Amino acid sequence: MMARTTLALLLFALMALPAEAQRLAGALTERQIEITSDFVGQTLTLFGNVEPAIGLADKPVKGPFQVIVVVTGPTQNRVVREQTNTFLIWLNTKSETFTRVPSYKWVFSSAPLAAITDPDTLAANHITLNSTGVQGTAETNGVPKLYRSELVRLMTDKGLYGVRESGVQFRSPTLYSVRINLPGDVANGTFLAETYLFREGTLIAHEAESFVVRKAGLERLLGDSARDYPLAYGLACVALALMTGWLGGVVFRR
Amino acid sequence: MQIYLPIAELSLNVFYLAGIGAAVGFLSGLFGVGGGFLLTPLLIFSGIPSPVAVASVTGQVVAASTSGALSYYRRGGIDFHLALYLVLSGVIGALGGVSTFSMLRSVGQLDLVISLSYVALLGAVGALMLNEAVRALLKRKRGLVTRERLPRQHNWVHGLPLRIRFKRSKLYVSVLPVLAIGGTIGFLGSMLGIGGGFILVPALVYILRVPGAMVIGTSLVQVLVIMAASTVLHSVSSQSVDILLAFCLMVGGVIGAQFGASAGQYLRGEQLRALLALLILIVAIRFAVGLIVPPEDVFSTSAFGVMGP
Repeated sequence: MMARTTLALLLFALMALPAEAQRLAGALTERQIEITSDFVGQTLTLFGNVEPAIGLADKPVKGPFQVIVVVTGPTQNRVVREQTNTFLIWLNTKSETFTRVPSYKWVFSSAPLAAITDPDTLAANHITLNSTGVQGTAETNGVPKLYRSELVRLMTDKGLYGVRESGVQFRSPTLYSVRINLPGDVANGTFLAETYLFREGTLIAHEAESFVVRKAGLERLLGDSARDYPLAYGLACVALALMTGWLGGVVFRR
Repeated sequence: MQIYLPIAELSLNVFYLAGIGAAVGFLSGLFGVGGGFLLTPLLIFSGIPSPVAVASVTGQVVAASTSGALSYYRRGGIDFHLALYLVLSGVIGALGGVSTFSMLRSVGQLDLVISLSYVALLGAVGALMLNEAVRALLKRKRGLVTRERLPRQHNWVHGLPLRIRFKRSKLYVSVLPVLAIGGTIGFLGSMLGIGGGFILVPALVYILRVPGAMVIGTSLVQVLVIMAASTVLHSVSSQSVDILLAFCLMVGGVIGAQFGASAGQYLRGEQLRALLALLILIVAIRFAVGLIVPPEDVFSTSAFGVMGP
């Protein structure tokens, strides 16, 4: 029933789009984040503007608008483990596997989410953290629900997930910007920044930008060779160690 | 100055890394051990994922034991015949250690096994060494003259079959305990990210009766080869060796070891052994506390497998 309601809402939202008279134009300050040896994280900015739809340029857009931006990182498989006290010591005894979990998910909005639209619309568009679309392995006995919220909490503690309800700032009635902060241990891959435009609780436009986080220079060389040529990489490590050890012995020879 | 570690995928201060490398190197030079048993826990406590810590420390131990082995080689303090047997069995042990490591990692019990093994291994070795060193110190205080080593004394091990003569160590001993010792150290070393020198040296002295002049040099050769093999095996099986991390540790470690070796000349053998035993016990207790004290958060999460788009 719930699923049908959300599906209906989604269809309604999609059907509503062409009838609306505005579209979103977005641009990122960076499309490629390069991880070099001094990388400690990076901030990039998404700028966007609410514009009249194509063919309706003479018709000015009318607000007030509310904007939600959802930034998702590359997906990964994650395992959530729980420690319990067994025979006096703390052991990882229970675990659940989640597939295709976003490695990064931040939600930015121009007002409190609850004030922008209803929970069903938020969930239908995967805007809230708890509706990340993660798939658990054992979806039957009620345990996965607990673990799913634990997963979101753990990721939030790491700074990889979060909600900032004042993260979207309007610079004029139609121009807005969002600062996206990537921590130093961010995953490598393609990120998606999706913008949802609301007016009076209704989704009226949607737009997506993507950017790539990847290792560059030496970091890229090392990361790639560890993955693609593991044997040569291991031998290189040993050669480096032998040389360092030998040099140390020679330099400090008494 | 922060440095991004490409395999650990996080950034740490390069001086911090070289610093702990140097501190552990100093202790390893002082006591004549590799220092892996201190370095791996320190890295894990610094937030480096334990698979990366264990695998990268193997590279650092190679560097540390190379300088040591070279100086013993120049003094003629290596029994290569004995080392060959230890190394051959050790590499087979390392193969087992690395595959066990991968298996434990996939079932999520790697941290637990590392902690338990540290408690058991370091606790036992530390207690034995402390006991022995304190007795030696007390005897010396009472003015008794004790013989430093008892190389000619035989025990049950010397009654085993398949005996081989090791000329440099002046030993005629069964090959079985030699292979068993080498294999065990290879297994534990590659699985736990330790060189194993602190277990190998007592084993060579007390079980095989290897003379003092040969024991450290020969054990360094065994540790060097096993750790080199483990580095390659870890690179191939789990791709968790971080070469930048290992290099920062190596540079600090090699420098620290030189100062440690000079400082060691001012302390007597029993004093050194008592201090080392205390250090080993402290690490064991730290791990035991971590197992028993309730964790701040009973939940944990980690990524595994290949990342999707």
